[in-house]
Amino acid sequence: MFDTLAQFVTILAEETGSSPAIPQGAAAALAVGLAALGAGYAERGIGSAAVGAIAEDRDLFGTGLILTVLPETLVILALVVVFAA
Amino acid sequence: MSASGSANYEYVVARVRSRRASLFSDDEYRKLLRMGTGEIARFMEETEYEDAVNALGSRFSGVDLVEYALNRTLAENFRDLLRWSEGRLYEQVARYLRKFDAWNAKTVLRGLYSDATADEVRSDLIDAGEFSEDFLDRLVAADSIESVVELLDGTLFDAYIEDAFEVYEETGTLVPLENAVDRAYYENLVPPKTGGGEAAELYREFLEAEIDFRNARNALRLARSGADVDPAEYFIDGGALFDRTEISQLVGNRSELVTRIRESRYGDELTVALDELEDAESLIGFEHALDRALLEYSDHLSYVYPLSVCPVLAYVLAKEREVDNIRAIARGREAGLSEAEIEEELVIL
Repeated sequence: MFDTLAQFVTILAEETGSSPAIPQGAAAALAVGLAALGAGYAERGIGSAAVGAIAEDRDLFGTGLILTVLPETLVILALVVVFAA
Repeated sequence: MSASGSANYEYVVARVRSRRASLFSDDEYRKLLRMGTGEIARFMEETEYEDAVNALGSRFSGVDLVEYALNRTLAENFRDLLRWSEGRLYEQVARYLRKFDAWNAKTVLRGLYSDATADEVRSDLIDAGEFSEDFLDRLVAADSIESVVELLDGTLFDAYIEDAFEVYEETGTLVPLENAVDRAYYENLVPPKTGGGEAAELYREFLEAEIDFRNARNALRLARSGADVDPAEYFIDGGALFDRTEISQLVGNRSELVTRIRESRYGDELTVALDELEDAESLIGFEHALDRALLEYSDHLSYVYPLSVCPVLAYVLAKEREVDNIRAIARGREAGLSEAEIEEELVIL
């Protein structure tokens, strides 16, 4: 069992050569994805608070909207990584 | 509106804060103080009491209209709280709002005791607790105190009120029954001390403060009246400040009692009130100061822990205060009290 595993690893190492486990493009995609996940989680709380505030006072719609999408900047900054990569 | 799932603090707290901010301010109270009862009703029509005033306007007028509109709005507001909350938050708010079950049970008992008509009693009930509308109707329809006690079988008040009923039959006074209802509410209020994390801890802290204040008030009243009653009998378990044996000693010695409160964790909020109490002989002033301190303490907790049940409970307290204040103004005006006298009765932060 361990023999075959060792063989497999050697073959894998030979095939990929010196390139990293996660290629550059994939890493960038991962970065954007994780940033979006974080932004989504942040917006969850802010969004529900904003909807609560708007339900009480419709004038708060603008403020609520802006505050809700603020964490979206995280994703935009993360997009920079794609072009840098 | 369910006890399952996770708590939605953000939504409820945002709504509650907005409502808290739109409660009547100093200026509005001052305006109300100069109005007659009819004008007060008209003024309320322009605020969030509009719906209730319009709905009840054809049936009542004057002070009654104000009173019923206040009760109805209060009930609607607190039902909203329950409608919004989910998960643990719902559980905690519901537990706290049982206060109105206790209030309703007491009102029904008092109504029967004083031979009020069913209509009068029904309109004084506040439909915000756990009791359903049907159950309240049945309570009101009961024809004797004994049948009310039977109806309360199986509710929170069951165990407490049965014993009290025997005492009531012996003595013929309502006090033991009322006391039993209050005790049932307060002693079931604070959840058991096991687990629950920070949210449960905060909830407990808030409720302990309320019970402590209630105990302090009872103790001072007893100390003041000099009545020959065992203070331990009126003591409510669950507070952090006193325990049952201590309170009997403290009631006998007022200055020691005051020192004890001053050295507690509420000391800072109560300094002014305690000084006043030591100088003056007025207990009313001190009780209002206690109310004010409890409000301040609850606000303090709600700013320190914004995502918790504290802001919701602080709102409940503040709203109740507002309703009490408006009622005091309306009743005071009707009775022909002067502005200064009414103002003394108000609790304004």
